[in-house]
Amino acid sequence: MEDVLDEVVSSEDLKKFERVYHEQLHASNVTQNAQFEYAWCLVRSKYSADIRKGIILLEDLFNKEGEALKRDCIYYLAIGNARIKEYTKALSYVRAFLQIEPGNQQVQHLETTIKKKMEKEGLVGMAVAGGVIIGLASILGLGIAMAKKG
Amino acid sequence: MYNDMPKVDLKVVLLGSSNVGKTSLLERFIDDRFNENLPNQSTIGAAFASKEVCVNNIKFTLGIWDTAGSERYQSMTKLYYRGAKAAIVCYDVTNLESWERAKYWVRELRSVEETCVVYLCGTKKDILDEGKTATPDLDIVERYAAGIQCKFYLVSNKTGEKTSELFDEISKDYISDPDNLHSVMEAITLTANSKTDSRCCPIG
Repeated sequence: MEDVLDEVVSSEDLKKFERVYHEQLHASNVTQNAQFEYAWCLVRSKYSADIRKGIILLEDLFNKEGEALKRDCIYYLAIGNARIKEYTKALSYVRAFLQIEPGNQQVQHLETTIKKKMEKEGLVGMAVAGGVIIGLASILGLGIAMAKKG
Repeated sequence: MYNDMPKVDLKVVLLGSSNVGKTSLLERFIDDRFNENLPNQSTIGAAFASKEVCVNNIKFTLGIWDTAGSERYQSMTKLYYRGAKAAIVCYDVTNLESWERAKYWVRELRSVEETCVVYLCGTKKDILDEGKTATPDLDIVERYAAGIQCKFYLVSNKTGEKTSELFDEISKDYISDPDNLHSVMEAITLTANSKTDSRCCPIG
C-alpha cells in the first residue's frame, strides 16, 4: 500500500474546488458537497495552513450534516490531523471510527500508517512521556489546590 | 535508500457504482481472499494497492486505485483516473442501475482519457449461478462491449472465478504495447545500474 498520508493534491485541483466553494460562499449558499470537496483537497495540501483550514471545514460539516457524511468526515479529519503531526488527535478519530466499524480495512490501514510515522519520528515514547507529564501536572495541581485550602 | 512508495508501471483505476464489489475485486487480486462475513464497507474517497506481476519473464508493478462508488465522490473520482493506462469498469450483473452507471463511466473515460484501455467487468456471477437472472441480459452486455471494442469479463469475487484472468489480461495487454515494454525495460536497466554503482564503491 502507498502511504495515504503522502498523497498530495495538485494546486490546480485545489484551485478548481476552491473556486466552486467561494462562489457558493459569495452567494451565501454553500452546499455540503462543495464544502466537503474543498475540505478534501485542503487536507491533502502541501501546506499546513491549508490542512488546518480543511480540518475546520470538516469539523463544521461533522457537526451539522447527516450520518453518511460524518463517516467520511472522521476519516479525513484523521488524515488531516496526522499530516500536521497532531498524531494523538488523528488516532482518536481513527479509534472513534473503528468503534463503529471495527473491521474497516481502509481505516485499519490508516491506523498502521499513522503509528509507523510516529515510530519513525520517535514519538511513541513521547506520547507515553506526555501522558506521564500530564499525570504529574494533575497531581501537582491537586497538591497546590490542597495546599491553598490548608 | 529504501522507498515505501512503489514505483508503479501500470496505473489501473477501478470504477463503478457503490456496492458492486470493486474493493472485493482488488482484495481477490492482491491477497486472493474474500470475506463473506464482513458487511459492505463503502470506500472513502479512494484506496490504493499495488502488486508486482510477471509476464514473459518481465517483472513490473500494477498500482491500482480503488475509487469510492458513492455519487458524492463523482467529481473527485476524475482526479484518480487521470493518467490511468487501464480502467476496470464494474457493474453488478443483477443490478440494472449499476449497468447504466458503468456505461456512464465508459463514455466518460472515452472522452477524457483516450489512451486508457477499458475493461468491462460484470461482478457477482455466483448469484447468477444460484439461478438469478442477469439484468440486462448478458447478450446485450456482450454486444455493447464488442461495439465499443472493449473486453468483457464475468467474474465472481466470492469464488474467485475469472478474477485473476482479468488482471492477467490487463498485464499482458499492457506489456504487449512496445512503448510500455520500452519504459518498463528502461526502468529495470536504471535500477540494475544503480545497484552496480553501489557495489563498485572503492574499499577503504
